[in-house]
Amino acid sequence: MSTSSTCSQISEALIAGRQEELLKHIHSALEQGTEAEQIMNEGLVAAMDAVGQRWKAGDMFLPEVIRSAKAMSGAMEIIRPKLIESNVKTMGTFVIGTVLRDLHDIGKNLVAMMMEGAGFKVVNLGIDLEPQVFVDAVKEHKPDILGMSALLTTTMPQMGEVINALKEAGIRDQVKIIVGGAPVTEEFAQEIGADVYAANAAATVDKVKAMMSAA
Amino acid sequence: MATTRANQIDNITPRFALLSDDQKQRIYLGMIKTLNDTGAHVHHDEARDILEQHGARVVGERVFIPPQLVRRALSTVPPTTTLFNWEGEESCRIEIGRTYFGPGPTPPFFIDPDTLERRKYLRKDAAMVARVCDALPNIGYVDSLGSISDVTNGLADLYEHADQIQNTTKPLMSWAFNVENCRDEHRIGIVLAGGEAEFRQRPNFIHYGEPISPLVSDYHAMSKCVYCATHRIPQVYTPCSIGGATVPASHAGQLVVGLSEAMVGVVVAQLINPGTCVVIGGVQSILDMRQSIYSYGAPELSLLSAALTEMVHFCGLPMFSTSGCTDTKTMEAQSGMEAALSIHAAMLSGATFVHDNGYTESGKTGSIFQTVLDDEIIGMARAIQQGIVVNDESLALEQIKRVGPGGHYLYEDHTLEWARRHWRPTLMDRDSYEDWDRKGRPAMRDRVVKKTRDIIENYEGPAARVPADARKQIDAILAEAEERVRSQSRPKQLQ
Ligand code: B1M
Repeated sequence: MSTSSTCSQISEALIAGRQEELLKHIHSALEQGTEAEQIMNEGLVAAMDAVGQRWKAGDMFLPEVIRSAKAMSGAMEIIRPKLIESNVKTMGTFVIGTVLRDLHDIGKNLVAMMMEGAGFKVVNLGIDLEPQVFVDAVKEHKPDILGMSALLTTTMPQMGEVINALKEAGIRDQVKIIVGGAPVTEEFAQEIGADVYAANAAATVDKVKAMMSAA
Repeated sequence: MATTRANQIDNITPRFALLSDDQKQRIYLGMIKTLNDTGAHVHHDEARDILEQHGARVVGERVFIPPQLVRRALSTVPPTTTLFNWEGEESCRIEIGRTYFGPGPTPPFFIDPDTLERRKYLRKDAAMVARVCDALPNIGYVDSLGSISDVTNGLADLYEHADQIQNTTKPLMSWAFNVENCRDEHRIGIVLAGGEAEFRQRPNFIHYGEPISPLVSDYHAMSKCVYCATHRIPQVYTPCSIGGATVPASHAGQLVVGLSEAMVGVVVAQLINPGTCVVIGGVQSILDMRQSIYSYGAPELSLLSAALTEMVHFCGLPMFSTSGCTDTKTMEAQSGMEAALSIHAAMLSGATFVHDNGYTESGKTGSIFQTVLDDEIIGMARAIQQGIVVNDESLALEQIKRVGPGGHYLYEDHTLEWARRHWRPTLMDRDSYEDWDRKGRPAMRDRVVKKTRDIIENYEGPAARVPADARKQIDAILAEAEERVRSQSRPKQLQ
């Protein structure tokens, strides 16, 4: 079977969110000698772009998109080490969490899943996190992007605290920071010295991608 | 007339029934089984201990609540509880069959009454919202429509409570970040009631708290629940369940989980202090799977709220429901449509408290203009809710005979009497074309803005009557809270 037809099978399975089938196609493509980079670009990324477009057009709805995103995450676990082996640039690592004294979970999880869907390695730290947890995670995972979610006006300043703590630790320059959540605004993001604000999960992916390609 | 009819009913108010008896039974049993088999997380040592002592199985933070504990709790919830205002007058009765519409708590943004633009919510807004709600005839209780941004971080709840309670004669619903602030709100209630025992006799606010969907009672929610139960502060303990995200996407599944997470609060409160007032229900709506927002205008909100009302009544509890809210950002046809449908559904289902009248932008922006619009809609819904009186006088057979074919009723005493009962608009446009044109062709939005600003300018409210001494004590409580927060948030030494 030609590599292009394998890639299109990979795309199809990914768009349909059929993880088992997707992994099977990826394994057989690799066995046939297809490069990981080609699988990623022609199979996975192409498919997730299509998913994104269909979602925005209203042809796919969230639970379907999340299935694809989860499948993508599984696929990237196989592909990512191979990309690294052959020195191909990966999408990078994204660390995300909800700040101290804030228990809102769902929006943050959605953003995390969408970023997995975009091919990022995602570390979801959870909710109600001390600034130090973010600092430690940046040290440990060396993410390209750090995401923070806050749904309360009272916890929004915690995002600034985290940025200060990163500065104190001397590692603020090592990550780009994106923030979001119901009461957060563009102006607030600027005020606390975050790099980007995103209003929702789809915008997060778009803005992070734009930021990565500008970097 | 010397005779009366046997078994006569003059007036039946309309109610719709969504769920059959069998459906209710199955959802109820679903809740019983979920609490027993799945259990819930309770991040509160004392609450877990009490549950365990009374027969719940506790594994770590997880509590499995057996059916008999739920049934016992349901048998001690009070059938009726009276709330008072700060002046000590009865302001509402929390019981099945009485319905009070009000605004909702805490959105981060607010529509500025002067500029009509979205901005942060300020301290002055809390008193204003209380006054406007006080003036609106169909608003039955007061809440804030925002969280105050221009006071010390972490005290928005307390300032709101202090300002709102003085600015209304209607019942007040207050929330709190934590048990310390909840205690301070209680202290303010006690000052105005004239003592702790007096407050127990005549509680002058109801507390609003939220467990976390799915099936988690976090430390803060539970500690406030325990505090309120201990001190006999009436309380609402309700989740914001998001269909398809924090609870199943199927409505029946959502009802099971929504009911179960709230029931944990009922059980704990009744174990701590049998007979203390607990109201359950909550925001019940869906995650919009295109825009990924929690929809406040979805028809599912009305459907789920009405169904949950039936379930909560099935359990013998008063319901905290939702209406008058919208996903729109500006006042337009959609805000009216969404509010009208949800208000009508809530009215017909007969929930006790119905909140969020005045929520826009999917619960992110409070708008007193929306509340004023909702007040009119509630009036219309109530006109329908009142039903039709059918008796000898209202059948009017004598009048019909007297006027006969071809006459008119305009001059009848009977008309004078009964036409008074027709609902009268305060915002709806029934002008002639010419009048409407002459007035500058005002749209609903213009009329709402005008009415709202009139109230803001001219309606005083009761705040001026608060005794100076009480005001001083309230200020002292606020000052102490400031000190407490200052001492808690001394900057931590990094490294
Ligand atoms: C990293 O980069 C990014 C980029 C984008 C990011 C991002 C990060 N994070 C989010 N985004 C963005 O992308 C996501 C996906 O598109 C979006 O995420 P969202 O989370 O906005 O969207 C979700 C998909 C769906 N939306 C949600 O899940 C939030 C909905 C609302 C109704 C809400 C819910 C559900 C809850 N709540 Co809370 N809650 C509200 C919310 C009102 C609202 N309409 O937003 C809000 C946020 N809550 C509020 C409040 C006050 C509270 N809540 C509380 C509790 C809860 C529940 C636990 C009951 C529940 C959360 C359950 C859970 N498992 O997560 C309490 C606080 C608990 C705590 N310490 O955190 C409590 C204090 C209530 C109380 N009295 O106890 C209000 C905040 C007001 C303010 N000024 O701060 C509130 C706006 C409600 C209101 N209308 O007043 C975007 O914001």
